[in-house]
Amino acid sequence: MRFKKPKHEQRFWAYTFLAFPLLLLSVFVFFPIAFAFVVSFYDWNLLIPDKPFVGLSNYIELFKDEVFVKAIKNTIVYTIGVVPVQTFLSLFLAFIMNQKLRGRAFFRTAFYIPAITSSVVTSIIFVWIYSKPGLLNYLLNSAGAESNIDWLTNPSTVLPAIMMLNIWTTSGYFMVSFLAGLQNITASLYEAAKIDGASQWKQFWKITVPMVRPVTYFVVVMSLIGCFQVFDQIFVMSSGGPDNASTTMSYFVYQNSFKYFRFGFGAASAVVLALMIFTVTAMQKKYFPPEAY
Amino acid sequence: MKKLKVQKIIFLVILGIMTLIYIGPFLFSLSISFSGDKNVFDWPIKLLPNAPTLENYQNVWSDLPFGKWLFNSVLITTIQTISNVFFAALAGFTFARLTFPGRKIIFTLLLSSLMIPGIILLVPKFIVLNELSMINSYSGLILPGLVGVTNIFLMKQFFETIPKDLEQAALIDGCSYFRLFWQIFIPISKPALAAVAIYTFQGSWNEFLWPVIVSYTEDMYTLPLGMASLRHELLTDWPLLMAGTILISLPTLAIFIIFQRYFVQGVASSGLKG
Amino acid sequence: MRFSSWQSSPTEERIVNASLDSFSTKHPNVVFDYQPIPGNYPEKIQLMLGTGNAPDVFWLKGDTSPAYLAFDVLQPLDSVMTTSPEFDIDDFFPVFKDAFKHKGKYYGFAKDFNSYVLFYNEDMLKAAGLTGPPSTWEELKSYSKKLTKDTDGDGKIDQYGFIVEPSIDMVLPFAFQNNAEIISKDGNVTIGSPEFVEAVEFFISLYKEGMATMPTDMGAGWNGDVFGRKQVAMAYSGAWMIPYLKESYPDINYKIAELPVGKIKSTVAFTNAYVIPKQTQHLSDAWQLVNYLAGKEGMRIWTSSKIALPTRKSVALENNFYQDPVFSIFLKSAEYAKLYQVNLQERWFDDTQAAMQAIFYKDAQVAPTFEKLAKRLERYKIN
Repeated sequence: MRFKKPKHEQRFWAYTFLAFPLLLLSVFVFFPIAFAFVVSFYDWNLLIPDKPFVGLSNYIELFKDEVFVKAIKNTIVYTIGVVPVQTFLSLFLAFIMNQKLRGRAFFRTAFYIPAITSSVVTSIIFVWIYSKPGLLNYLLNSAGAESNIDWLTNPSTVLPAIMMLNIWTTSGYFMVSFLAGLQNITASLYEAAKIDGASQWKQFWKITVPMVRPVTYFVVVMSLIGCFQVFDQIFVMSSGGPDNASTTMSYFVYQNSFKYFRFGFGAASAVVLALMIFTVTAMQKKYFPPEAY
Repeated sequence: MKKLKVQKIIFLVILGIMTLIYIGPFLFSLSISFSGDKNVFDWPIKLLPNAPTLENYQNVWSDLPFGKWLFNSVLITTIQTISNVFFAALAGFTFARLTFPGRKIIFTLLLSSLMIPGIILLVPKFIVLNELSMINSYSGLILPGLVGVTNIFLMKQFFETIPKDLEQAALIDGCSYFRLFWQIFIPISKPALAAVAIYTFQGSWNEFLWPVIVSYTEDMYTLPLGMASLRHELLTDWPLLMAGTILISLPTLAIFIIFQRYFVQGVASSGLKG
Repeated sequence: MRFSSWQSSPTEERIVNASLDSFSTKHPNVVFDYQPIPGNYPEKIQLMLGTGNAPDVFWLKGDTSPAYLAFDVLQPLDSVMTTSPEFDIDDFFPVFKDAFKHKGKYYGFAKDFNSYVLFYNEDMLKAAGLTGPPSTWEELKSYSKKLTKDTDGDGKIDQYGFIVEPSIDMVLPFAFQNNAEIISKDGNVTIGSPEFVEAVEFFISLYKEGMATMPTDMGAGWNGDVFGRKQVAMAYSGAWMIPYLKESYPDINYKIAELPVGKIKSTVAFTNAYVIPKQTQHLSDAWQLVNYLAGKEGMRIWTSSKIALPTRKSVALENNFYQDPVFSIFLKSAEYAKLYQVNLQERWFDDTQAAMQAIFYKDAQVAPTFEKLAKRLERYKIN
């Protein structure tokens, strides 16, 4: 039997300890979440004192708005393009890092640097790389490919270019997640495989991939949520252009709320985005649970 | 044997290419930051800068309000990091060790808020801060980031791994819960606290979306916001822009190199158990 | 009291400070703070207005002004104006005097103006055997063709005749010269009209047919850089290019001329205003500042820098702009220029830029794109 302090004393301390964090979270998280729905039913412009209730009309206008439809499309393309590549690449990097290797700390740092660097910084660097006379075209031309594309002002390349950047920045981050998972796999599994003469490639597919399934689940969820909300890179690199080819949903929310100052309309688009993320993660949980097979 | 050697060579080649891809862009940006020539698009592009100079690093301080932005970033990051570590530990401790009415509901509420994408907060959080007259002020930049749910969660997980026998003697001696937390739990939680500190540091140092909305005068900009605001104006001065970006990146890089092992631990515990 | 402006160049920063200094010596009792806003100016000003923190005097971008006037956030200045008879509103050129008038009231005064004129590199024209600048659309095209070449023989074109940007303000001179407008006097959106479409088609043909380049194609931020680096022979730009070239590319030998003419003579005039928000607590001090800066003396100091041109006739005369070979061109242009002011909600601009980008980068057909755009813009009508 363990000693416990009286209930009222525990209660007192618990509420005291939680008071400040809960106050802040209520003001800046819980209340705003509820309030977002409220605002979305109003024609709310900060510059106009009169804020009429408009019911569902913001939502109706949203789905008639070509740019919003394009933003949904871009966001989906972005997510589908980034998540699988990113997940696989980070697992692959983790697999490499888990080998016996001289200078492992160096390589791990190298792969991780993009992940810890400010998104503004990486975006600025890639504006240079992607510009017409920039590094990417230079390398392509040196390799014999005639490339004369301005990657960020070309509507068909701008989104893939930003997707590449995202894969590059975040794969190192998820690599660390996988690395932790890999270190939990007992070495004897690999030993046994080696004795059976399995190649590294085979070990990767037959042992590593199935064993890190819970981590994969986590990585995919985080990566999905991140992709659905991509903003910084769009803001710095393309401002959603050209011809809205890189307008994503969160950029649309920002633009309508803080550029055109239509808070109600902006909040409505944010609610739609939130519902989409919610649905996708819920579906993932249902159809691809972390601990299947 | 021969097969193994071939495999090893392929492996090293892949490793080399990957490394170049991941750090190459930074090397070029470093090179441009030392370039004395504003035209950074001369082909062939070389890794060694034309007319190398330190001038760009001096100009960052003299031509831009870099010092002020640095001050803002340091101030915000420091306060948010300390606050997050303290309150996450305190709240984590509460959920891990105390029983009180509403414990389950509150914790579930916290957990479910993690499911809500941050973008939905943009407009309502702005309206709230505006009502509190905190737009374009330090309080508006700092307050919303003082407590993070993920951090609370991480600390709770960590404290639950500590055997309950530890505090028995202290409790029997009549030690208060705050002293128990402060004198017994905190000292043995350094790795977890370090992980929270590093993550918060990195997150608030690099935070972009919130300052974009909250700060509207130059003297309230943070470093990332300041550099982003100059991105169009400085398009003709790449060396200066790159010097600024290199300077912003140094603190996070230094912290990562020094505290590497905590990073891995932090990701491990948040990733696997989350 | 606070005063805010955007800052587009070090030169501009210098002269803002100079004119504020001279105001302070004249009015030592008016205490104020100058807070420039770099980057995203319209958004930031909007935020300040919305959060009750607007500066007491600020610059208002002319192209966005109709939306602000409709939001009813600016202070009408008619009554304070009567306290300062020396302000002399009739001294403004007619086109600028009423630029910020809304429902019969004055809400701001044009601080200066600029207009698109033709900048041309004299050496390049001479080398191509051309004696003067082009004076018609046809000449603009044929000259551009002649001036586009590979000077160092490496198989890559390194000198273009003309430079364009997928931006609506660059098309407007052509549209105006073709008797077309974005929105007509009686409030109809006419950006999809055959005349407008024809102008856009001519504009884009210069690029598509290879005799014009774009700043992004050359890895540059704007026209001024490409022109300064001698990669292009002719460019449309405003007076802001003059101090920039002087500072960054002092060795370039260029001249300025009126724009080549289409069906009619026209160009775009840009003007911005000093305005006072309704929420100000310092109306009389704020007016003192506006009265000075938009008055004869303030404007004389401001425009003596030659970054922009005066909107007052007396100042133009006093600064000898009519005798100046460069600035007389701008003043001549102002006689037939049309203002860049669009009476639509701000989103018209992004949607129009998107349409421009679609025809530039996606080879979209001009006519259907702009007809569709016109329908969208209908929704952004104010009042």
